Amino acid sequence: MSTEEMKITKHDLNRVFWRMQLLNVTNNFQSLQAIGFLSSFVPVLERLYEDQPKELKTKAMKRHLEFFNSHVNSDALILGIAAAIEETTDEEEKQTVTDVKTGLMGPLAGIGDSILKFTWLPICGSIGASLALNGSILGPIVMFLLYNVVNVSIKYYGIHLGYTKGMEMIEGTGGNILQRLSNIANIVGLMVVGALIASVVDVNVVAEISAGDNVIEFQEMFDQVMPGLFSLLITFAVYKILKKTNGKHAPLLILAIMVLSILLTALGVLGE
Amino acid sequence: MISALLIACWAGICAIDDIGTQILRRPLLIAPVVGLIMGDLQTSLYIGATLEVMWMGIGNVGAYSAPDIISGTAIGTALGIASGGAATAVALAVPTSLLAQQLLILYRSTITYLNPIADKIAESRDFSKVFRINYIPMLIAFLVRAVPTFLAVYFGAGAINTAVEALPDAIMDGLSVAGAIIPSVGIGLLMLMMIKKGELWMFLVAGFTLAVYLDLDVLPITLIALPIAFIYDLAVKQAPQSSEQSTTMDSSDEEEEYDL
Repeated sequence: MSTEEMKITKHDLNRVFWRMQLLNVTNNFQSLQAIGFLSSFVPVLERLYEDQPKELKTKAMKRHLEFFNSHVNSDALILGIAAAIEETTDEEEKQTVTDVKTGLMGPLAGIGDSILKFTWLPICGSIGASLALNGSILGPIVMFLLYNVVNVSIKYYGIHLGYTKGMEMIEGTGGNILQRLSNIANIVGLMVVGALIASVVDVNVVAEISAGDNVIEFQEMFDQVMPGLFSLLITFAVYKILKKTNGKHAPLLILAIMVLSILLTALGVLGE
Repeated sequence: MISALLIACWAGICAIDDIGTQILRRPLLIAPVVGLIMGDLQTSLYIGATLEVMWMGIGNVGAYSAPDIISGTAIGTALGIASGGAATAVALAVPTSLLAQQLLILYRSTITYLNPIADKIAESRDFSKVFRINYIPMLIAFLVRAVPTFLAVYFGAGAINTAVEALPDAIMDGLSVAGAIIPSVGIGLLMLMMIKKGELWMFLVAGFTLAVYLDLDVLPITLIALPIAFIYDLAVKQAPQSSEQSTTMDSSDEEEEYDL
């Protein structure tokens, strides 16, 4: 695609960016993000179908009303790539656009989840939370800024990058760049989650056994083995339960923890 | 009355943000504004931070609607401050989120009626009409969050206050203890999504160790994790594709071994 042939302007892509802020608004159980995709994509269609017959306009709109669902941030890249393909395909090859969209939405949703939802958000959230726990108003502010610098720029550059070099980025040489990014995000995320366990999960055992003159304090004893060992064990136990139930009953588990904590605190096993 | 209205509006705005831009939807960002409205920023920061970690792994994955953290946080924080306890806030946020989750499922089912409308607009051949379709669901989303929040905050404060005072201390103490354990659920949910291979456990334990023994914060641990992740990625890339696949297939067995 040489520059002089490109019809879609930077301005069009920026309009897509602003419109995609509302991409998820129409997300419903029937077509998920389809309406949102079309409503964000309209500036591109307006440009490409300016002088086209009206039936083609309808066909173009219908094409982008087909079922679509990905991660909100990955949508940016897909919108950009779809724009490039719309521009370079003839009317009879338009099926390609749909094929590429459906091909990309799954994998890119996974990558969006692993980078944004499971890595960057927990990092921002825990930096913010630890500041806020110390009573600092900086907590929410820092979280807001950190998260949105990445959130907004992925959306903005995603559209532009997707349009200019989307396909080579995904299929390109040098290995699967996005897959590798998601691997790296996964590891960083896990180390942060490990740190989170230490800093936010707090189990305090106050029970003690007196054997003659000796008082054995459980907490002190286990702290000598490894500080925060209880936090780690509790989290593993919770993880195990969630895994068995496929993560569906998290709220029930929270209620169960409340009841258990009340019981164990009343019995003098746990304390603040 | 006025503060209940303001909080309801704030919940409504966050609701639009949640389905739209996703800039404000987290508890840590929702709670302080409620705190400002109620005149107790300090407590709201503490509540927001606790709820933030607690709901960390929660999110809409695919078509699954998660418990509604927005009304849960708004109502929980407001009533928690009104009754003077962070423990109350956490205890209230869970059932509220669950109730509101049902409303959200109703909402997402209701707006399927947008599909025929969108089809009609497509028939009309008029590109400029498409964007207007966003306004109706935005209004519904606003109301779905704002109305229950208003009712709960306006009528609930008195009831919650009486209930909290009637509760024995033992239960309040227990709830405080629970508040420090509950974040493990959010973390567990995250782990569920992240641990795809058994060998990944060691990174979790490494992060834990850095935090426990070196007392490092999240930011330095992130920076230490980056080069480690990069090296791991290089190492995995070196391995031939076939062996990587077999690792994935064995993952269920391996995970059993690495657990605990």
